[in-house]
Amino acid sequence: MATHPPDDIAIIGWHVSPMIRRTELTEAQMLLEVVNGATAHAGITNADVDFTCAGSCDYVAGQAFSFVQNIDAFGAWPPKRDSHVEMDGAWALYEAWVRLLVGDLDVALVTGSGRSSTADPDIVYPMEMDPYYLAPLGVDAMSFAALQARVLLDGGVVTERQMAEIAARCRRDARANPHAQVAGDFDVDALLAEDYVREPLRRHDLPPITDGACAVVIARADKARELCENPVWIRGLSHCAEIHYAGLRDLRQAESITRAAKAAGVGDAPVEVAELQTAFTHEEPLVAAALGLGADVVVNPSGGPLAANPIMATGLVRIAEAARQIRDEGRHRTLAHSTSGPCLQQNLVCVLEGE
Amino acid sequence: MTTTRSVEATIRFPYKRSLGPVMGAFMTALTEQRFLGIRSGERVLCPPREWDPDTAADLSADDLVEVGPAGTVESWTWVSSPSAAHPLDHPFAFALIRLDGADTALLHAVDVASPDALSTGMRVAPRWKAERVGHITDVEAFVPGEVPQGGGGAGAEEPVTMMDYDAAITYTTPVTRNEMRAEAANAEGRFLGLECPACARVYLGGRGFCPIDALELGPEHEVELSQRGTITNYTIIEPVQYPGQTETEPFARVHVLLDGSDVILGYQPVVEFPVGDVRIGARVAAVWNDTKVASGGGIELDGWIPTGEPDDTDPNLVNRIC
Amino acid sequence: MSHQPCAIVGIGQTHHKSRRWDVSLGGLVREAARRALDDAEMDWDDIDAVVIGKAPDLFEGVMKPELYLTDALGATGKPMFRVHTAGSVGGTTGIVASHLVETGRHTRVLAVAYQKQSEGNAQFALGSGKGASLGAGGAFAPFMRSYIQRSGAPLDVGPMVAVKDRLNALKNPYAHLKLENISLETVKASPMMWDPVRYLESCPSSDGACAVVFTDEAGGKAAAAAGRQPAWVLASAVRSEPASFPGRDPVRPQGAIDCAAEIYATVGVSNPREQIDCAELYVPFSWYEPMWLEAHGIADEGAGWRMVESGATALDGDFPVNMSGGVLSSNPIGASGLLRFAEAALQVRGMAGEHQVDGAKVAMAQAYGASAQYFAMWIVANSLDPFGS
Repeated sequence: MATHPPDDIAIIGWHVSPMIRRTELTEAQMLLEVVNGATAHAGITNADVDFTCAGSCDYVAGQAFSFVQNIDAFGAWPPKRDSHVEMDGAWALYEAWVRLLVGDLDVALVTGSGRSSTADPDIVYPMEMDPYYLAPLGVDAMSFAALQARVLLDGGVVTERQMAEIAARCRRDARANPHAQVAGDFDVDALLAEDYVREPLRRHDLPPITDGACAVVIARADKARELCENPVWIRGLSHCAEIHYAGLRDLRQAESITRAAKAAGVGDAPVEVAELQTAFTHEEPLVAAALGLGADVVVNPSGGPLAANPIMATGLVRIAEAARQIRDEGRHRTLAHSTSGPCLQQNLVCVLEGE
Repeated sequence: MTTTRSVEATIRFPYKRSLGPVMGAFMTALTEQRFLGIRSGERVLCPPREWDPDTAADLSADDLVEVGPAGTVESWTWVSSPSAAHPLDHPFAFALIRLDGADTALLHAVDVASPDALSTGMRVAPRWKAERVGHITDVEAFVPGEVPQGGGGAGAEEPVTMMDYDAAITYTTPVTRNEMRAEAANAEGRFLGLECPACARVYLGGRGFCPIDALELGPEHEVELSQRGTITNYTIIEPVQYPGQTETEPFARVHVLLDGSDVILGYQPVVEFPVGDVRIGARVAAVWNDTKVASGGGIELDGWIPTGEPDDTDPNLVNRIC
Repeated sequence: MSHQPCAIVGIGQTHHKSRRWDVSLGGLVREAARRALDDAEMDWDDIDAVVIGKAPDLFEGVMKPELYLTDALGATGKPMFRVHTAGSVGGTTGIVASHLVETGRHTRVLAVAYQKQSEGNAQFALGSGKGASLGAGGAFAPFMRSYIQRSGAPLDVGPMVAVKDRLNALKNPYAHLKLENISLETVKASPMMWDPVRYLESCPSSDGACAVVFTDEAGGKAAAAAGRQPAWVLASAVRSEPASFPGRDPVRPQGAIDCAAEIYATVGVSNPREQIDCAELYVPFSWYEPMWLEAHGIADEGAGWRMVESGATALDGDFPVNMSGGVLSSNPIGASGLLRFAEAALQVRGMAGEHQVDGAKVAMAQAYGASAQYFAMWIVANSLDPFGS
């Protein structure tokens, strides 16, 4: 067995909630399930958790300080070392990973959660755009994706048929994923015969609206070994941002992904599987190319965000799925990607390895 | 009791934004039917900002230059069913438009009858609103061609420094099964409690879990709670006026410890209890309001009314606030 | 352990006002960041990563504003991170930034926290726009009543804190409230807003931002060698606890007790009143000063008010608290925690100007949030070994 320096940190447990169109649970109740599921998966109890970090969003919840109620799901008594990011749970994992790197704590629990069903995404997401030039126009996330898709189509980076093929592949692969919300066999020609929703995007190019949550437990090397026979090692973790206003960017590029990938050491060894937060079909070839992935890399075997897209947890689910590929599917080296903002503005890359 | 229901609430946000020197100049120019970009090195950025987006170097309002009014579409998407937040109420396009003289693209709407009229590289010009206030929507939309449309009238008399932004989001939030059972109990004039099997703490019935043990609580954990209690603490609030404030006179909010339990209801309204009489130790009872029953609603808690019993004089009451 | 020293070499803040209508959101955060970079003798290029903190996005109506502010804060092509831990968020912002340096992830990190309350209405947003809210004062008033009764504190103690902090604010050029004629009489004559809290015992609503530049040991030593005193982050800690359950004491929250105990243990403080020279504590309502003095073990339980009454917490006392004027004088909510942390650093750098505590070598800062259930604290010093161990 390989030895690991004490600063190596591993994923030792995780839990993904059911991914559904509309939950009847509160966000805290959704978290309760994944928190208890992830600690059970890791073979620990709440008392073993030294640090908790949650990722969620007030505007998704429709309430200021919404995360304060979610602390109830962590069993934070006696009081816990804890933090919260108004970002996807993948970034909560980043903060927890840095916190464990400090060296004085052994185990951290990370969550991402959101109930996207509670409001119309076309009304909510313009709120995250430039408050002077974009939000007043109500420019929604789907429109931004469509503008980038057209640039990629015009530039020959992707074709509408390839986009439909990506959708069909993801939904076909999703049949084997018990957490998938949208899965099945779809005929590419039939998909291409459908009307546009936001030309050049059709229904199949878009993610579903999903309520869901995810929790992941990480531990420092010695503790991971003690608790777990087959820890999944976090080999690299980095994130990077681009200019916000899409009109100021070259939308054919995703340089922040390339930078994050380099910092995370993606190119140091071959990656077998990549779980990408590509919620729109055209993003997959762009992100894969920016990551430097070869054609042999299996992309989104879970179905990816096109199968289930729990906003604020979608990125953390990618990390859990990439870990599952190592733990359950015998892979050695996998990758997870998360993104936020219009046209892939902000990106995180996580490289995982088995023993 | 098995079918779920949800509560709908629309949150309206009235915001007032200060624009700063560069965006203020841009918005002022819009009232004059002109577009401004800002020079940064070799490039002209439109829409302009106070910093170079690559280097974060300061850009000054002195470096503003006029661009447009016509420009070239660099990308577009067709919005076949506009949202309430969109600038037009009929199908239109969003487009990235590089205005003449600018090196970057402005995002705005293009108003054409159908997507067949759109192509990357097409030329567009603004259709100005007749009344312009210094807002990105002073441009109603762009239209095909080289010649600006609409507009008329004079620009702003004073430089524009502020903009309004109103957003309304409707949230539909599920009512959980525990909340429904608690409501059903309230409808019968009862309080429902949930007792944690691990720590034996009791919580008011809607909560659904114990925050200490992170355990789900359900029907099997239900206990009945008294509708009488003692005021443990309070505050008298002088209302501050803001959007949504419904109070005009000083009002009390009290903490009530329910008899025979550790359950505290915080920040509760009082009924027929003058603010000058509100005190720690006062004995109170729940008052229910059935005005919504006739229309199919439930009984609601109006607040707490003095019972006339002798006060509880336990000096530790004031500390019972969680 | 990979933990390595982290130094603060740059601090900047805006002038805090009820309405900074002269600047945009980007302009506001850049004003603070530019001052911090200038103080650090750095430019945007020198920064490796940015951490941004603020309280609810509903206050300004900009969701996830770290996206819009990425390029405003020079984070194009860099990591941009956003934390939100309620009122303690400014403290968390600084702590996360310090960890990025301590773990060697980055060499120079810019932390920025802000709130532009004038864009919206905090009372309105606290109720999420759905109707009436009690306001923070109404929520905390019962806690203060409980403290007053259990400690037996004279009712003048709250007003004394209010006067002391506003006198300190007169010495701070960035402070929002400048109440030249503040006195016990004017405080006591002000309206009772949330009984037992009066108007002048309450924090204002401010627009403002704060920025701090963190660097590694080499960077800190280089600054020191160039005659620019760094502040060294000796310890930091956070704690959270659920808002409401039978047995919780929000007047003396276990999270606050544990958080303080952790930073004292890390630095080797056994007697904080003796060993720490001054403190910036998050005091949005006057009574929170004695409450925190007790919960943080600076005063014995029930004796915090005696420190206030004796003048020990005044600028010339033996344990000055809120030298900057505190939250009672400036409250851009999301920035308020980082302002506390930054003032502690200014003090040990000897750069606090008229509100400098003579000879301050070790300072602590605290921020808290939500229903007094989120805590962030740190201890900074003018050297890595202030007690000569």
